[in-house]
Amino acid sequence: MPACPLIALLAVTGISRMLLLLPLSLAIAVVYKTTRCENLRDVPAAVAALWLTLVLGMYAVGVAIWLLFMICVEWT
Amino acid sequence: MAATQTNMQSLIRVCTAGFLAWLVPGAGHILLRHRTRGWILLITITLTFWSGVALGGPQDTVDPHKRLPWFMAQICTGSHGLIAYAWGEYLRAAPDAAQRANPSFASVDAAVVYTGIAGLLNLLVILDALSRADQPAPAPTPPTGQPARGSP
Repeated sequence: MPACPLIALLAVTGISRMLLLLPLSLAIAVVYKTTRCENLRDVPAAVAALWLTLVLGMYAVGVAIWLLFMICVEWT
Repeated sequence: MAATQTNMQSLIRVCTAGFLAWLVPGAGHILLRHRTRGWILLITITLTFWSGVALGGPQDTVDPHKRLPWFMAQICTGSHGLIAYAWGEYLRAAPDAAQRANPSFASVDAAVVYTGIAGLLNLLVILDALSRADQPAPAPTPPTGQPARGSP
């Protein structure tokens, strides 16, 4: 039993750590688009578009780096 | 004379909005009458920061002795960063701190990123509040069913 209520409350390990990108990128999209959009009615659609772009882009970069790593490992 | 007074009022407004935006994320926007925008920013940054603390625990997440550059980002969340720092210092100074510490805790890196990003997002919010403080405040929204003043 942890002495502090927040310690070890959310133990995220292994492959599930990749899922941590989803809420973080959503927060980035919400804050950025809330500051940029003059009309708040435009925010939800803009946030959805930016969130998808961020998530797909980051996962694509991750897969590309992983493939590069695997190729380097095979060659050496 | 009147121009100097107006400039002084504008400067005070900008400084107050900037300080409030740092102290409580979104409060600068609320002061400038962008209430909905301010509440969205407040809730998003607060959730992001404290989710990070929940992932790694206050004593490992907000630690200037181990991660000074990240701490500089975390402290941009103002009161949240200060509270988490004070909480972490209290836990580190506790007699059974070594017993509580868990260096193998796998989520600390993610926790530091969450809290650091929350701080950097608040930096963006502070800059936005400063830029909006120079502009005139938005007109209050008329009640539903009534036309806005000046509309045909």
